[in-house]
Amino acid sequence: MAIDERVIVETVAGMGLAGNEEGLIPAFGLYLTNHYADFYNRISFGVLGALIRENPELTEDAIALLTEAAHVCAFHTFGGIMESVEWDALVQPMIESREDWVHGMIAVVNAFGWGRFRVAQLLPGERLVVELRDSYESCGYLESYPQADGPRCYLANGGLAGLMNLVYQGDITRRPALTEDLYREVFSHPRSFRSREHLCAAKGDSHCEFVVERMQG
Amino acid sequence: MSFHLAPKADLERGITTLGGRRLVFHCHHYNVFLQRTIEDALQERAPGLLVAAGMEASRSMLQGLENDARSGSAADALRRAADTFAAQGFGRMDVSGLGVGGGLATLDHSHYAVGWVSRWGKRPTPGCYFVAGFLAGAVAVAYRLAPERVTSRETECVAAGDERCSFRVEVW
Repeated sequence: MAIDERVIVETVAGMGLAGNEEGLIPAFGLYLTNHYADFYNRISFGVLGALIRENPELTEDAIALLTEAAHVCAFHTFGGIMESVEWDALVQPMIESREDWVHGMIAVVNAFGWGRFRVAQLLPGERLVVELRDSYESCGYLESYPQADGPRCYLANGGLAGLMNLVYQGDITRRPALTEDLYREVFSHPRSFRSREHLCAAKGDSHCEFVVERMQG
Repeated sequence: MSFHLAPKADLERGITTLGGRRLVFHCHHYNVFLQRTIEDALQERAPGLLVAAGMEASRSMLQGLENDARSGSAADALRRAADTFAAQGFGRMDVSGLGVGGGLATLDHSHYAVGWVSRWGKRPTPGCYFVAGFLAGAVAVAYRLAPERVTSRETECVAAGDERCSFRVEVW
């Protein structure tokens, strides 16, 4: 593998992503914010709590709403990054295989403040296992709630499924237009990837761990 | 002169902090999609959650920032809040109309309004709930006010077709 994660993390962190004269951060073909983890956690766990309290039978549906937001995040954020001039300059020269797109994107995300991701296993086109330490979701959860009875890293979980879908289902290597039609096509495919967080610091595990696999169709 | 203080990054752990609170990069697609998800799910209760979360998240970060900056001036604290807000990509705001009794703040290029319009076009009501919460938090920290004394709401919004985003901050 040719991906040099340290170089990528240090370069992205050193890009000085900060607001321009309008106070906006246009980068990677997106408008970025260096936002407050506390805000995401308060609104995500807040809406989930409200929905589940009123309709406990809809717990899975409520979680699916946050997962969908994470899929959208991955599709546009990761997709935008992997089609950007910044990616071409920094990561593309290190890429030797399709799997390097996954490793390269994980390295970029490690500069985004979400915690530290590490690929534990990548079976091309089939399976991804990722460890995450200091997840902002699980850390934030434990600051405001007692120990959870299930995983709580909805953004990271959906984001990793989105990454695998971009690389192996949507073939981001061909630089497709990131349209709503493509989003629906990729994520609605019966063999698209879904992720399961089976270890989570919010429920007392030492770290978070995700297994991403194709649906059985 | 910028009053903005730079975040601290721990690259080994993948953690960035400002004022002792964690910062995370996200793009406009996620920000406005998550907001719309919450508005659809909670309907008329959504603004309360979004503004309160914005206020509390901002207040805790800005309070930490003031502890680090050790500046005694409320005007400096407000300038620092506005500069930090712009550096974080939310837009450059004019807070010159704010004081100990509240007042008016404006924003020409709000991230949330720009992001909403670019994804879905105009909306019928103002949509910069996070910004409203941020301003309430900034006034509470700058003037050392109990948070429950400060409220904020957006009265004009670019996403709703107005020329700029305007916010009315009230101190009770």
